[in-house]
Amino acid sequence: MSSSTCIRRFSRLSLDRTAHPPIASRSLLATPQTSCFSTTAAQHASAQGKKGMAAAPKRGARTLNIKKNKKDAAVAKKPAPGERKAARKRIVLSNNNALEVETLTDMDKSTALANKHEGQVKGIPDAVVDALRAVEAFKRSQGWSMFRRPATLIRKETTQLAELMSQAEGGEEGKPKTVRRILTGERLNGKSTLLLQGLTMAFLRQWVVINIPDAMDIVNAHTEYAPLPGSQPTQYSQETYTATLLSQIAKANDKVLSSLTVTAAPNIPVPFPAKGSLKQLAEAGVANPEASWSVFVALWNELTQPGRPPIMFALDNLAHIMRNSDYLSADVKPIHAHDLTLISHFVTYLSGSKLLPNGGVVLASTSKSNTPTVSALDFSLEVAEAKQYSPNNMPQWNPYKKADQRVIDCLKDIKVLKIAGLSKNEARSIIEYYAASGMLRAKVDDGFVTEKWSLAGMGNIGELERASVRLRL
Amino acid sequence: MVNLWGFNFPEQTLVKRALKTFYGIGPNVAQGIMARFHIHPYAKLGTLKNATVLDLTAELSTMKIENDLRREVQENIRRLKDMGTYRGRRHAMGLPVRGQRTRSQITNARKLNKIERGGSGRVQM
Repeated sequence: MSSSTCIRRFSRLSLDRTAHPPIASRSLLATPQTSCFSTTAAQHASAQGKKGMAAAPKRGARTLNIKKNKKDAAVAKKPAPGERKAARKRIVLSNNNALEVETLTDMDKSTALANKHEGQVKGIPDAVVDALRAVEAFKRSQGWSMFRRPATLIRKETTQLAELMSQAEGGEEGKPKTVRRILTGERLNGKSTLLLQGLTMAFLRQWVVINIPDAMDIVNAHTEYAPLPGSQPTQYSQETYTATLLSQIAKANDKVLSSLTVTAAPNIPVPFPAKGSLKQLAEAGVANPEASWSVFVALWNELTQPGRPPIMFALDNLAHIMRNSDYLSADVKPIHAHDLTLISHFVTYLSGSKLLPNGGVVLASTSKSNTPTVSALDFSLEVAEAKQYSPNNMPQWNPYKKADQRVIDCLKDIKVLKIAGLSKNEARSIIEYYAASGMLRAKVDDGFVTEKWSLAGMGNIGELERASVRLRL
Repeated sequence: MVNLWGFNFPEQTLVKRALKTFYGIGPNVAQGIMARFHIHPYAKLGTLKNATVLDLTAELSTMKIENDLRREVQENIRRLKDMGTYRGRRHAMGLPVRGQRTRSQITNARKLNKIERGGSGRVQM
């Protein structure tokens, strides 16, 4: 044995004794050759080299087989048609884990429009909740599912709206009026909730309520449309949407419409009994969607006869109806939303070119989420705001922006109801309600209220709810 | 099943998708046809009225689609070949027609350039 081999053996033994296999053979040639003074043990080196080259498993041997996208027919059961949409649209209005608020009282007919409840949280009566559900006034993004039952804060803007509604009813002098307003305000400031409060008051006062819950659904070309025969320029009716709206009207205004009967035979292409109620009329449109637009017109004519209740005509997400819709005309040009019959009907009353003879409110709400930018609408609202709040500082039209003349014309003399943040007292009231519901576990004092009010960007109610109820720190 | 121009489609098929199955109708043509008959883009065949389906069928039968269109394209190619043009020869050989290099990447030419372009077509019922 030469001396160099001896050193090699010695180095290997000393470097990694454990990794070295027990020396079975005394022969030097049988041991694997490794480089001198390498710190990698011979066994480790060979194991690494063999990676991925393992022999195929023996026949009959079970191997581990984990596939990522393995389909299991038993697990992946397809949901029934409409099931996923129903789950997506489900509205939860109560939380059994929240405490019952002892002091919470409901709004009622006699005091619905009075201003003495300003700054208090008031419950919505069950019958009205059903009606509001029928007209899809509750939104999923609102926090109804956190409390025992639906209740809202009567804020300053709510009393302003109530005041407008009592003017519409005729007030002291008894002359009904048509009030037209657009609700504006920052994101999460409670525009849709104020609209809901308006609907609530209208239901309580037994008005006829017609609500278009989201204008996007009319214009996004998801329902049938057809040109209206004999219209010049061509208007387009949407039979499915109108039929759905009629069914909502019939369901929500059940009591009012059942008590009213038609004054004259309605001009509709379906048979109708001579002294039928208005509810029957609406239901005729639901049963025959192809006649739904003419039924809607007939119903509107009946509702505007003398002696009928005032009308609350409301629409959320206004910007969608102030531009071209996704529908196409026969020559493959986009149809302007104002050419859709239902929208043109709404816009006629919103612009004030027609008035409600029995009084009523035409209420539209803008939205700050999922809404298109319509420069003509934004400008019209800026002008309206400036007229009301700062007449010396009128905005100028940016000539580089595209103007939609139809939008500017219809919003020429509109008024806005601007929704600002809550006052500290209102914030305190709603925070106390959160605490009484058990959803907020903190001592409610001035410091706490001020902190939350400031965190919520000076009383933005949506942010306030986020900061105090939804967010758990 | 809804019968559209001699072909059966399940009722839940989108009208647009059904139209696009025909050789010669793509997204734009389908959109144009649907706009002409006031069918909204998400309509399904089952929701159409019978009259609309008949109108669509009548409209489709006035158009040059499916086998008529295939025949026209094939005739154009055959004409080139019969004249003995370079383009005709390249079509017949399944090689690029418009001067592309053939060293690599001529899969589309191999797939498409043939005398019987577009296949033999579907059979109407």
